[in-house]
Amino acid sequence: MVVDQEAAVTVSQKTSPFWDGIRRLKRNRMAMVGLVIISIFVLCAVLAPWIAPHDPLDPSLPHTLQEPSPANPLGRDELGRDILSRILHGARISLSIGLISVAIGALIGVPIGAISGYYGGKIDLIVQRLIDIMLAFPGILMAIVIVSTLGVGLRNVMIAVGIVSIPIYVRLVRGSVLQVKEQEYISSARALGSSNLRIISRHILPNCLGPIIVQSTLQIATAILWASGLGFLGLGAQAPTPEWGTMLSRGRVFIRVAPHVTIVPGLAILLSVMGFNLLGDGLRDALDPRLKR
Amino acid sequence: MWQYVLRRLILTIPVLIGVSLLVFAMVRLVPGCPAVAIAGVHATPEFVEQVRRDLGLDRPLHTQYFIFVGNLLRGDLGVSTRTGRPAATEIWDKFPNTVELAMASTLVASVIGIIAGVISATRQHSIFDSGSMLVALFGVSVPVFWLGLVLMLLFAVTLDWLPAGGRGGTIEYLILPAITLGAASAAIIARMTRSSMLEVLRQDFITTARAKGLRERIVTYKHALKNALIPVVTIIGLQSGILLGGAVLTETVFAWPGVGRLMVDSIMARDFPVVQGAVLLFAVCFVFVNLFVDVLYSFLDPRIRYE
Amino acid sequence: MKKGLLMVSAVLLMVSMLAMGCPPEVEPEQRLVVAMGVEPPTLEPIRMACSPAATVSQHITQPLVYLDVDGSLDPSLAKSWEVSPDGLVWTLELRQDVKFHDGTPFNAEAVKFNLDRFLDPDNAAPFRFLIERITEVEVAGDYTVKLHLDEPFAPLVAHLSHSFIGMLSPTAVKALPEGELVDYPVGTGPFKMYEWVRGEHITLVANDEYWGGRPRLDKIVWEFIPEDATRVMRLEAGDVHHIYRVPPMDVPRLEADPEIEVVRASSVRVIYVGFNCLVEPFDNPKVRRALNYAIDREAIVEFVLGGAGRPSDAPIVPAVFGHHAAGPYEFNPEKARQLLAEAGFPDGFSTTLYHPTGRYMKDVAVAEAVQAQLRDVGVEVELVTMEWAAYLAYLRKPPEEATHTMYLLGWGTVTLDADYGLYALFHSSQWPTAGWALSFYKNEAVDDLLDAARITPDLAKRQATYKEAIELIWEDAPWIFLYDEVQINAQCASVRGLVLHPTERVQAWDAWIEK
Repeated sequence: MVVDQEAAVTVSQKTSPFWDGIRRLKRNRMAMVGLVIISIFVLCAVLAPWIAPHDPLDPSLPHTLQEPSPANPLGRDELGRDILSRILHGARISLSIGLISVAIGALIGVPIGAISGYYGGKIDLIVQRLIDIMLAFPGILMAIVIVSTLGVGLRNVMIAVGIVSIPIYVRLVRGSVLQVKEQEYISSARALGSSNLRIISRHILPNCLGPIIVQSTLQIATAILWASGLGFLGLGAQAPTPEWGTMLSRGRVFIRVAPHVTIVPGLAILLSVMGFNLLGDGLRDALDPRLKR
Repeated sequence: MWQYVLRRLILTIPVLIGVSLLVFAMVRLVPGCPAVAIAGVHATPEFVEQVRRDLGLDRPLHTQYFIFVGNLLRGDLGVSTRTGRPAATEIWDKFPNTVELAMASTLVASVIGIIAGVISATRQHSIFDSGSMLVALFGVSVPVFWLGLVLMLLFAVTLDWLPAGGRGGTIEYLILPAITLGAASAAIIARMTRSSMLEVLRQDFITTARAKGLRERIVTYKHALKNALIPVVTIIGLQSGILLGGAVLTETVFAWPGVGRLMVDSIMARDFPVVQGAVLLFAVCFVFVNLFVDVLYSFLDPRIRYE
Repeated sequence: MKKGLLMVSAVLLMVSMLAMGCPPEVEPEQRLVVAMGVEPPTLEPIRMACSPAATVSQHITQPLVYLDVDGSLDPSLAKSWEVSPDGLVWTLELRQDVKFHDGTPFNAEAVKFNLDRFLDPDNAAPFRFLIERITEVEVAGDYTVKLHLDEPFAPLVAHLSHSFIGMLSPTAVKALPEGELVDYPVGTGPFKMYEWVRGEHITLVANDEYWGGRPRLDKIVWEFIPEDATRVMRLEAGDVHHIYRVPPMDVPRLEADPEIEVVRASSVRVIYVGFNCLVEPFDNPKVRRALNYAIDREAIVEFVLGGAGRPSDAPIVPAVFGHHAAGPYEFNPEKARQLLAEAGFPDGFSTTLYHPTGRYMKDVAVAEAVQAQLRDVGVEVELVTMEWAAYLAYLRKPPEEATHTMYLLGWGTVTLDADYGLYALFHSSQWPTAGWALSFYKNEAVDDLLDAARITPDLAKRQATYKEAIELIWEDAPWIFLYDEVQINAQCASVRGLVLHPTERVQAWDAWIEK
């Protein structure tokens, strides 16, 4: 009985603003453009092994740095590998870096933020000071420091970018929790004997879902940018992995003789980041009218 | 008011302690023995041993930390393992160059950002508005190192108008790096200025001013802009994070001899004292710029309550 | 008063020249600008450890012996040297007409001061090992020095020629505050330190009193420009006269430019892929040889390095004393597969190749090319990029702890003597942690030969001993022998007499600029 009641409360809290949001989102042209861009990249990532014209790792030494041609529409790199195929496979890497690191940040940051906001007091104080310390390092700098400490590699890039995004989620969720904490339905749930854990997970977090989704979309964009920056500094993926930032960095030596090797991966980064930014902005306008600018 | 400033100052102390702890921990968490790394391929075992002793790697951790902080307070960051000179000297030598670049890009970003934002707001939904917001979207999405390389390709290699890198002491060396580094901030400032202006323009006192028959230009620039700029100032200040992080990448692209580039080089060379110092300097700068902005904001906007 | 007189005469001179209708014939300043990629971290002999430092410092602080481009050892500050019959005492005769830049006379005391300082374990000079066999430096006369050794060491004079063992003025060093290191070295060289703007340049001025005659250049400016592309642009713009390390891709364009001359020189560094000979399947020489046959060195050198290399024909480069061409291994995938089948791996195997990044020219691309070529003979290689310091620590473990399989590494025989290139890498006493024999290679015949060559003063005999050793090493193949690096620099066509040494050093004391 109690369970049903609770479910009803959550559902009615969730559904209607959510569908409202979707309707608003559909009317937002820019957001739809973003969604289309992201969909294309997701398709590339999923279908890469089937649609890539060549093996992304297969060198062809006599054809190094070849310019774009019908056989290799985006040209070849310093080992004669097909750049188009590498970009397509690279989409898998960049998207997974984005998703996984954001997941790391959210999975750690959201509970901490919720607990910190819900319980307040000493816990909140300690968490806030820790977050202050983390925020004392400019984002990508912190990621650089973490990767150079843990060692180079894709896994460590994800961890580093994930860790750096934790404070953002903590702040966000804590703020939202402080807002809803004192509302009536929370007190009534408490009166009905729900445990704190239950209140947080069933009543409070669903209310923060909008901002979390918005933030995560924008954060994926940031994560892709940071990760490519790490790749550019030589702190990214393991060779011969076709990670965009690394590809770009390796190509810059030839920028005068073969600019396409540098320009193409940069465009891929730019477009995918733009896609997530567009969608994120659109989502913010649609899902979270409070944040509307 | 002064109480607020004092409170904010006191609050930075635990942050600074935490920062020093993190920077200290960084080196100890590195896989592999830093002593061997620093001594190099050709080093004798005795030399490796001496490096180990110099780094204090044979003592308990907390002792190492207290030594570290004690030295830090005396301005002693240790000796650069690459050059044998004090790490602090290495960093201070490069610091003015980074400040120069950061100032120049802040200037570029603020001027472009505010102008674009104000025009966009006054002509909402015009072509200029959509155009500049599209450019702003580009600005926040473009990888700074790629933008730098493309600008370099265009203006230094193809057109041969500007030098491709380095710091020659004249202004033309500064132009490309400053624009590259300022692009993202310009985009954010433009967006912020636009929305802030739009909000102010909707407010009562503007309507009143208009009703009084004041010219639109005066209303826009004298009344609205003054109020709209308050949050923009904060945003400009908060860009320092993006700027400092971006400096690492921009300085690498343009061979700009600043602290960011020094840090990257030192990471590659495993020159820990310099890496630690550079990270510390960046963090401290960031913390104090933020503090300064907060305080400035509280002066500019009397509505803020100092709880 | 004097100044006034000078002014008057200057004006008079100018007027008279104008009257004669010809411009003043003033010899323009001879100023050479060299752009290097890396700034020397320091010019202090007991701290120097890289070739940029050696390049600049050898113009200021000279070693006792000069190592010529062809590998011969020529007299310099030491006029002559001879070794006692038991090989334990070397006697050096010094020049008597040499003064340091600060006027301090150069003599046996100065040599003792410098060598003792270099050898002092407390100073921990990174290259102390070069002359660590010396137990005592004896002043046997004003201009005679006796070096006492604990065991015979034939390469001693070659090692003394190393630019890091430069002679500093004892007066200047003693004037330093306690614990401070040399910043502006004071030596005996053709140039004097003038200015060091960190991160930008070092300027040297000619030493008018140089014992070998004043150089024709008035100034040398060493500029530090890390970006390859930027260096090239500066040269093309005519801002600098000589640049280091031209990216191979830019070579054709520069060669087409009549104002620019591309300078190639051999280097002393070999790049190789080492095997851990203690682990399966690399404990089998057949497998090691097979992998050597699987590599297309010509293609790597031509297309990956853009010609900046030369397929290795020995574990040391031809410029090194003791070199003998035993190869190169031919590119023959068929033979590779056949050898693998004979060794019991008809379907190949999987393994891991560890490699550094940014340490050697195109190191990552080379590792990728090796990976692809080995895949063609059925050997699946996983690449693991390691940061340089962690990489060395990882490789340099004692045999029972070592977990590496294949590793990409380079070795520069900077002394131009085979002992430094072979003993350290192939003698079984040099297994880590003692030395750098990271492939755990052991062949008693090779050990004996390398030991013998160490104490044989007779050059022809040493040469023959090294030949034998190299042939054995080549057959045992503890490495995939890849290539020797080639240096590619470029300069203005007006620069004359500049020498690009195999040890990656530009030598400018005989250079001038043709106007």
